Amino acid sequence: MSEKKPTGKVLVAGAGISGIKAAIELAETGYQVLLTDASTQVGGILAKLDYQFPTDHCGMCRMLPMVGREYSSEYCMRKSLYHENIEILPFTEVVNIEGDAGNYKVELKKKARYVNPDVCNELGKCIEACPVEVDDEFNHGLTKRKAIYKSVPHNVPQLLLIDKQSCTECGECVNVCSTNAIDLNAQDEVESREVHSIILASGIKLYNLRDFEDAKSYAVSPDVVSSLAFERMLSGTGTYEDGMIKRPSDGKPAKKIAWIQCMGSRNRRQNRDYCSSVCCMFALKEAVLAKEKGGPDVETTIFYMDMRTFGKNFQRYKENAVEEHGVKLIRCRVQEVIRKPDGTLQVRYFDPLTNEFFFEYYDLVVLSTGQAPFEDHKKWAGLIHTDLDPAGLLTTEPYSKVKLAGKDGLFMCGSLMGLTDISEAMSSGIAAAGEATNFLTSLDVSRKFGDDTPEPKTNDRSAPKVAVLVCQCGEFAGAEGLDTKLLETELRKVKDVEAVHIVESMCSAEGEQEALEALKKSGCNRLLIGACQPYMYRRKLKDVARKAGFNSSLVQVFDILGVSRRGLHEDDKTAWTRRAIKEIKSDIASMKEKPALHVQSQPINETALVIGGGISGMQSALSLANRGIPVHLVEKSAELGGFAGNSIASTIDGLAPMEMAKDMKLRVFEHKKIDVHLNAQVEQTEGTLGSFESKIVYNGNGEETKPIYLHHGATIMATGGHEGKTDEYGYGQADNIMTQFEFKQGLESGEIDLSETENVVMIQCVGSREKGKREYCSRICCMWAMANALKIKEKNPDTRVFVLYRDVMTYGFLEQYYTKARLAGVIFVSYDLENRPEVEIVEGKPVVKFTESVLDRPLEVSPEYLILSTGVDPEPSNKDIAETFKVDLNRDGFFMEADSKWRPVEFQQMGTFLSGVAHSPMPLPDVIMQAEAAAQKTFTYLSGGEIQTARVTSSVKDALCVRCQRCIVVCPFEARSYNEMEHRIDIDPSACQGCGMCAVACRNNAAEVSGWSDRQLMSVIDEKLSDDIELSTT
Amino acid sequence: MSKFTKIAFNKGELNTQLSQLFSDMLENNAVDAVLAPMAQPKKGVMQTLVTSKENLASMDPFAPVMPVNSAKLVSSLTSTPSGKRIAMVLRSCEVRALVELVKLKQANLEDTLLIGMDCHGRYENTDFLKFQTKEGTSEGFLEGALNGKTESDGFDVAGACKICEYPEAPNVDIRLCTIGSGNGTLYLEAVTEKGEEALTKAGTKFADGPGGRADAVKKLAAARAEARDAVFASYREETGDFNALDDKLSACINCYNCRVACPVCYCKECVFVTDTFRHKGEQFINWANSKGTLKMPTDTSFYHLTRITHIAAFCVGCGQCTSACPNDIDVMPIFRTSAEKVQARFEYLAGRSVDEPQPLSVFDSDELMEVTGQVK
Repeated sequence: MSEKKPTGKVLVAGAGISGIKAAIELAETGYQVLLTDASTQVGGILAKLDYQFPTDHCGMCRMLPMVGREYSSEYCMRKSLYHENIEILPFTEVVNIEGDAGNYKVELKKKARYVNPDVCNELGKCIEACPVEVDDEFNHGLTKRKAIYKSVPHNVPQLLLIDKQSCTECGECVNVCSTNAIDLNAQDEVESREVHSIILASGIKLYNLRDFEDAKSYAVSPDVVSSLAFERMLSGTGTYEDGMIKRPSDGKPAKKIAWIQCMGSRNRRQNRDYCSSVCCMFALKEAVLAKEKGGPDVETTIFYMDMRTFGKNFQRYKENAVEEHGVKLIRCRVQEVIRKPDGTLQVRYFDPLTNEFFFEYYDLVVLSTGQAPFEDHKKWAGLIHTDLDPAGLLTTEPYSKVKLAGKDGLFMCGSLMGLTDISEAMSSGIAAAGEATNFLTSLDVSRKFGDDTPEPKTNDRSAPKVAVLVCQCGEFAGAEGLDTKLLETELRKVKDVEAVHIVESMCSAEGEQEALEALKKSGCNRLLIGACQPYMYRRKLKDVARKAGFNSSLVQVFDILGVSRRGLHEDDKTAWTRRAIKEIKSDIASMKEKPALHVQSQPINETALVIGGGISGMQSALSLANRGIPVHLVEKSAELGGFAGNSIASTIDGLAPMEMAKDMKLRVFEHKKIDVHLNAQVEQTEGTLGSFESKIVYNGNGEETKPIYLHHGATIMATGGHEGKTDEYGYGQADNIMTQFEFKQGLESGEIDLSETENVVMIQCVGSREKGKREYCSRICCMWAMANALKIKEKNPDTRVFVLYRDVMTYGFLEQYYTKARLAGVIFVSYDLENRPEVEIVEGKPVVKFTESVLDRPLEVSPEYLILSTGVDPEPSNKDIAETFKVDLNRDGFFMEADSKWRPVEFQQMGTFLSGVAHSPMPLPDVIMQAEAAAQKTFTYLSGGEIQTARVTSSVKDALCVRCQRCIVVCPFEARSYNEMEHRIDIDPSACQGCGMCAVACRNNAAEVSGWSDRQLMSVIDEKLSDDIELSTT
Repeated sequence: MSKFTKIAFNKGELNTQLSQLFSDMLENNAVDAVLAPMAQPKKGVMQTLVTSKENLASMDPFAPVMPVNSAKLVSSLTSTPSGKRIAMVLRSCEVRALVELVKLKQANLEDTLLIGMDCHGRYENTDFLKFQTKEGTSEGFLEGALNGKTESDGFDVAGACKICEYPEAPNVDIRLCTIGSGNGTLYLEAVTEKGEEALTKAGTKFADGPGGRADAVKKLAAARAEARDAVFASYREETGDFNALDDKLSACINCYNCRVACPVCYCKECVFVTDTFRHKGEQFINWANSKGTLKMPTDTSFYHLTRITHIAAFCVGCGQCTSACPNDIDVMPIFRTSAEKVQARFEYLAGRSVDEPQPLSVFDSDELMEVTGQVK
């Protein structure tokens, strides 16, 4: 790495979860990131969600890096995010973009907050003083806020701001502010920055009950709320209180709640011919939560058109919601909601099964509001000087969901692609970061890891000598009232404290210099710093300490302005000082027992192993090889391409998998960095992240080929899947009963001639979404049905096409094909499991009997073709691979990722990744996106040359260990294993996250987390239990 | 389904008959070795490992004494397998503790033939010596016990035995049944296939079991459970707060005998003898300073509280801890009362089954919600 090269810089515009994920991935790869958000907060929509499907808890922190934790913070992500390589600019808008690939000049408008967050002590006196009250946006108007306010109740630090539109400029806040943090005349500032690449992640605007005309017949009362507002009604920082979901109008408990789906979406007349993809699962989750949070007597009903449970494990969640939690589902169109004089809400709906109108009464109606995506697209198109597609969306390169068409170095991710769930937001964020990394690799830029000051050496055996440094916060009078004199006197009395130094202000250059000098002279080996907002300044303070010769692990920062003051009366300064002394003393007690902790670097074998030579595997292999990573691509058959690449010529959205695969195969075979192993399988593997050895066996042509051993640093599972088999509905008993795939091939080869065809019947969900069979939605069958149906109509418009379906899963922008099929005259007839179509073979031909719901009468059709949608099956070889690599499969036989939402392309087992249909059935663009994401995760780990383990990891003292192996079973990160040869417990320090479960499970401290020894903790307890100091007034 | 065989014995012949049985087992290659309580040359009865049938004559499994809980002995014999099949004669509490050790990977049942004897309790070790001196015999003890009388001159079976609700050993291959068998009669019960095979090899013919045994076991267990509840209630009353508990333990001298005697305290080296508890002189002064006095040795109650957290999930109530205390502190009820609550909370019962996962050994994100604060 030459020193002159600049570090690669990327602007990520939008700090929702996909933007954050992209930013973290880039930062981990060593690039510098500017992360902006137009709103006042980071976290996007997720900041408002306390509970997420499928765990019904929050899990946002699971997106934080697992390796190299030293360079970022490991705090609750809903509070905030910190990473050395990420500069976060909330309340900042991108107003201009000039230049081109690799050389973008962006103008950022930092909107005025009127409160200086560096100075604000967050005590909130200004908020009390403010006389203005308006609706709080964070809680969707369910609660009130002041004109000066905290935009997110749970952020740390609390970034206050003034809403200038409602502010009366009375000046009360300025009067009460003791730190002069408020400037009512502050102005927006425009700043110009240069970046190499840009990722757009600004999300979408949500359909809004107030702005849209077609919501009016529903939003008739304050008790009709949007689904996001309902989240706030379930949150303690919203209106949830005393175990009660409160009705907004009168605060009474809402016991009967209805959800109305597709609000704003799937509405062609309003030019919104799309599905918002996430609302079905969102409503199911809310309905389950409503019962859990509001009590078992809460009744929940969801009015829906199609229950789109297309994602991995979605179907199971739905069944559980209905069967275990009693959530009621009614398939219908709700006509209107009427507010009755007593405040109850009358919902009138039409039941297509009985052809009758029904009335039902509710306390609360939740409208499942979807996306309204076009405004942001228009804005971005203007800024990057590009055209929108006819639907008003930004266009991407063919096959890619994240690469903007014709714009090198520009990418997008998250809901800007169309509303995404958490898992897709994560994959797209990683994939966008991957594409950006790909792009940056082609430029003359460098990557940056950690910082440059080397860690000072420590003598672990030397007796503890503690220095204490206290910042007086002189600049802003933050510590006014803290008796630093007394503090100094008391701390000097503590045994082993050799130096106490009070600095006027650590923020100033002089202060920093003064501290540095004092510390250098102190001769101490441990340091405690009392300062403000350690979340923000810990890094900087530790840098000063390191320059003065202190090992980072022996430096502790204590929040002297915040924590030590919390809960005390503001005027009680003696209590504050006393508390500060006590807290510092217990920190000293712990530090005296603490050994120096070191980061260890593990060498990395930068070769990657990719299992599966389908499109997903080839994509991952190419992406890595193009970035210089050597790849072994192992394919069990004699040919690359997989199912899609070898047998699917075209898809409904204009893609040509076979053609694409042909091109990819060429590039794979020609690539110097890729070794292809055909007819090969991985029989055995051993090792940990960065250093695996795998045995490859060949099984081609009966020839005897010797197994070979490959050394690699990481593995990607891309084993794909294939079309499911069936023996239902007469399949196999007549030539004209075939699968969607077989029919499609017949059409393409010309073997099927439709000129004389009168009737075609398609049956969807054959052997799918049913207990004991394929218990999941295969996601692509509805698209295949649409494609084949449209093809039939195109070839012979007179053919009647019946599609017998349970729920049409044309989620997202795929909805347009469903619309197209209906407009083309395809007849869609719904059925359910109790009332399924019947097929009889009469004289070698199928006769299909089913009930036509609109006419409500049984029909009998003798189709020329009966086409069955049989879904997608996982590869049977997954089982062996899972066993070999010690990873898990889910009940359906697909690989189980580390976390279904937050870590979709990784396994819990470090150094193993997954992509494509090996994860779950998905359409081609998603396969490509996941393959890119898996490649990026692999690249991040493999490209650094080494892996830095964290300082805080657990260890085993062999002499004390009884090998009961309880630590292995409780480890949630699979960092521990039993070494049978050596008869001992092994730890993978790169996998260990220092959570301490093993230390709890271990009876006699054979398992210990470094820096958290019993002695340290006992010292702290002793110190905290000791008597309060006698305060002599000085 | 269990199969039985009856052994009727004349006075003084119980041990002879049992010796013959095990001798047949060794001779016919049903097992390679026998671990059973044997009379020692001068006095006392100890578990003894025998590999030749000639040395089985001094066998005395029903002697009312249990010098150690044999689960630990089985751990030594099996944790690194010898490859030899061993028949082991154990009491209920020994088997139940063994089940816990197996789950903790400290023992291994692969080559064992577990033989559980009906248990009428044991005397304290010193009491048993008195019992022997007064010519007390196992048969005499059994006869009394079957008529509800276990006490001898001035002493009775251990407190733990009086409140033990498991007179019958679970999870064994063969049982030596005395309850419900009648005087002068012992039944052998082949509980598992392994047990049946071993007895068959030894030449046993199976017949009907003792009628009314199940009821008799149930009745005895119920009576002891009632006694247990009374002991628990009064103990909880006496140790209602920390100070009361502290008082109970005030005579503790940190000898750690209770820990050594405990079959489920399985650490190689106890944390209380490691550096973690080697305090600096300054520390003692600080402690003394804060209250004015400091009782020495320190960390005594801390030690027992730690033992509670370590073994409450595994405690089988054998009472060896109380027997081992040189200062007559009755510690058994501390562990039994806390074990009862802990095990109930996890719907677990120590010793019940080898397949049941131990509490806190499996990761379940949705458990103990009353303490995790999760809303569900």
